[in-house]
Amino acid sequence: MSDYGVLLQQVVNGLSLGAMYALLALGFTLVYGILELINFAHFNVFMVSSFVGMWALELLGLSGQGQVLTGLALAGTLLFAFAVTMIAAGVLGVAIERLSLRPLRGVRGTAAMITTIGVSYILFNVILLTVGAGSENYPNPLPVVRWQFGEVTLELKELLIWGVALVLMVALHFFVNRTRLGKAMRATAQDAEAARMMGVDVDRVIVTAFFLGSALAGAAALIFGLYYNYTSFIIGYTAGLRAFTAAVLGGIGSIPGAMVGGLLIGLIETLGGQLIAVRWTDVIIFSILVLVLVFVPTGLFGRAAPTKS
Amino acid sequence: MRSAIGTRLPARTASVLAVVPARTRARLGVLLVTAAALLFPLLNGNDADIDSAANALAFAALALGLNIVVGFAGLLDLGYAAFFAIGAYAYGVASSWQLQPAWSSFWEPFQWLDLVARFHTAGGDVVHFQVSFWLMLPVSAAIAAFFGVLFGAPTLRLKGDYLAIVTLGFGEIVPIVARNTPSVTNGAMGLNGVAAPRLFGYDFGVDATPYYYVGIALVALLIVTTQRLKDSRIGRAWMAIREDEIAAAAMGINRVRFKLLAFAIGAAFAGATGTLYVAKLQTATPEMFMFPVSVMVLVMIVFGGIGSVWGVVVGALLLQILQSWFLEDLSQWLHALGRLVNIDGLQHVELASSIELIFGVILVFMMLYRREGLIPATRRVAALSLDEQAAQVGRGGFKGLPSIGAAVNSASGALLQVSDLTVRFGGLVALRSVELSVPVRGVIAVIGPNGSGKSTLFNTITGLVPADSGDVGFDGDDTLRLRPDAVLERGIARTFQNIRLFPNLTVLENVMIGMHARLETGPVGALLRLPANRREEAAAREHALEILSLFGNRLLPRADHLAASLSYANRRRTEIARALASQPKLLLLDEPTAGMNPAETLELADQIQSLNRHGLTILLIEHKLDVVAMLADKVVVLDHGEKIAEGSPEVVRRDEEVIRAYLGRSAAFV
Repeated sequence: MSDYGVLLQQVVNGLSLGAMYALLALGFTLVYGILELINFAHFNVFMVSSFVGMWALELLGLSGQGQVLTGLALAGTLLFAFAVTMIAAGVLGVAIERLSLRPLRGVRGTAAMITTIGVSYILFNVILLTVGAGSENYPNPLPVVRWQFGEVTLELKELLIWGVALVLMVALHFFVNRTRLGKAMRATAQDAEAARMMGVDVDRVIVTAFFLGSALAGAAALIFGLYYNYTSFIIGYTAGLRAFTAAVLGGIGSIPGAMVGGLLIGLIETLGGQLIAVRWTDVIIFSILVLVLVFVPTGLFGRAAPTKS
Repeated sequence: MRSAIGTRLPARTASVLAVVPARTRARLGVLLVTAAALLFPLLNGNDADIDSAANALAFAALALGLNIVVGFAGLLDLGYAAFFAIGAYAYGVASSWQLQPAWSSFWEPFQWLDLVARFHTAGGDVVHFQVSFWLMLPVSAAIAAFFGVLFGAPTLRLKGDYLAIVTLGFGEIVPIVARNTPSVTNGAMGLNGVAAPRLFGYDFGVDATPYYYVGIALVALLIVTTQRLKDSRIGRAWMAIREDEIAAAAMGINRVRFKLLAFAIGAAFAGATGTLYVAKLQTATPEMFMFPVSVMVLVMIVFGGIGSVWGVVVGALLLQILQSWFLEDLSQWLHALGRLVNIDGLQHVELASSIELIFGVILVFMMLYRREGLIPATRRVAALSLDEQAAQVGRGGFKGLPSIGAAVNSASGALLQVSDLTVRFGGLVALRSVELSVPVRGVIAVIGPNGSGKSTLFNTITGLVPADSGDVGFDGDDTLRLRPDAVLERGIARTFQNIRLFPNLTVLENVMIGMHARLETGPVGALLRLPANRREEAAAREHALEILSLFGNRLLPRADHLAASLSYANRRRTEIARALASQPKLLLLDEPTAGMNPAETLELADQIQSLNRHGLTILLIEHKLDVVAMLADKVVVLDHGEKIAEGSPEVVRRDEEVIRAYLGRSAAFV
């Protein structure tokens, strides 16, 4: 394979990772847009959901990558797994908001963020202590279908990831821009106080943001499992930080920003790993995070500068 | 500490204790704690216990350092372990066989200083680093402090939660770099054979006891350092930044300098601790400094009480004891119980591995139910007596003014000269070619409808909002492009329309922060408490109380109360007191009587008048026109960012343009 072919293949891989990061980044952005809160719990909502997805697939009798499904059976299985994972993740997100964050509404300073670090730690350790520290083999009913375009190989699972991400993002875009609750959400993000006075139920908007953001993290988690064929208690931290970087890069609070930022981070991860060295990938990504925050705090599509105090 | 003893005990014990003066009690407490700490290894001969205690002390030292950054300066640092790592690797590399450059004459001076040794190998002579542990303690601290400034500098413009993320990023990068540069750090394998400290020929070796005593000494030193910094001009500046950055800048605090100072000192604590820790373990691996360590130290200070010196030490020690003794013992008991009742599950419970789960629970529960921690940083104060609460509205202004206001260079003419000042916010022109002249000892009022640019004018004069064009001359200086703290230093002090006190600091502390620019004690002075520093601090306190006493019994009895607990009018008064404490030449008052009842308004107007008679020049924004008429020599009217009228209150009141701006177009023709 030529260098050019390798790079092109890494672009394909990067877009797949990027789609996953974008879904995860949307959760950070939705919550930040409304509460101005960096939700560290989101990292491990993602991780826990990947286990929920695994259990959902195992419930259907799948284990490992041996059993391959096709046609309607495959579609039904995937639909079931995505539905269960996304709803479970959404409910988890709402529970976190209700139990640990709502009591802190209006408390100034970093209390809410410290709470989300605590929640994240709890989720992390609950899985570590119950499931264990090993990697779990992820059930995957997708048949291995490959198409060859010149030097680039495209796999069915990549098409699936792109398809799912696209559908979910279009649905989110439609929800935020075309529905009543979506309008309430945009109003709350602009000015929560004014929205409240205009009769918007701000608590309901916040719950919705947590549900949607967490459900998207659920979809990303299932994608992670199907893409890498494993899950483990530690996946939340790295993926979460990269997705957060994606949200910042795109401009935190901005929905299109999270999508574009996610794709960019995916590409940076695969191309950086290819061109420099995989062991420096995290340093590259964190350096981007720091540089963006310091020099372009609004990101690519950001509206509000995070320097206001 | 004092109050913790005084307020928690039952009434009878408290009354017995009250016989002993508070200061003696505090000293006695410290003495008892020190004695217990020193005797511990003699009473408990178990080396494993002493080892855990030594580790606990290292974490107490880390907690003290993080407390300066998070607790005092309010900068949430999630990558604090990075500095711990830097200190650890600094000593590790300087006292092990990791680096062995070829010998050359360059190294000879270092050999004389006993920092390196010449070592013969088959491939030629090489350098062996053998820098003393005692030298490396301060050197590591200095190296870590340097990195503290380096990592802190890019984060200065960011607000709290973004700062947390950037520090988290640095906290990730440092161990990754350590892992990926095996030539210096031996990578993931870890440094080996780090030399143990030696003291007068005695080798510390692997026995835990000497490390325990070094740990005690280090923690004691850091406690004293922290306490002294906290109760000084430096600590007050940090806490002012934590409470309200804008107000801190407007009161003369150089935010950049003090934030970096907090980062540097916090990092220095971690650097020295890293050296001790690595000397004790005699190895260093990247895994020892990952995110969980940063979170653990954060949990310790959250648990003990953010900002509370004794709180964070107690928090760190308790959590370490929980981790290394209690959970182990509890697991053993559960195993025994399991064997007794024959339940297999109980025999395999390992509670120590759930420590991180417990940390998570502690974080959430402390935030939800006890944000001030086990030992809160702020003291509770006694309720005021009825006498102290009853304040009479008095007329006639301030009696017995102390020396407020500094001497003005220009004896006559304009003290403040604003010319052609234009400020734009995007497309909106907030101020358009505004001209304003404030004569020495004059009182000028700025009036105008809401949104006419009055507060923007104040913000621009005080350096909070940059101007697009124009000039601001003040007492012979050009002050337009100065930082807010430099503007205050030149002699312009202000109050804010929406009151920006430091809510979780006492009234007295608020006023003393106003004096920041007039005091000189730096970090070294605060630490050493030289006679000059003590005198300055005492005089500052005296002066602050004098200023508080101007307002009769409104503020003085509440000097030790938190600013957040004050009534609205008293908060306004405290803000004026804080501004006066900076010995201004020009006082900017932004709606000083807003929210006051008519009697209080008149009282304050009298007081402002007496300040002016005493020589202070005043520029004020005011909506109450009777107050304006009473105080002002001249009124300037702004509308839509433009000056539409200027003159004596009488003239302005009849100006058609002004009437139209205030009451609408039709009213002007009635």
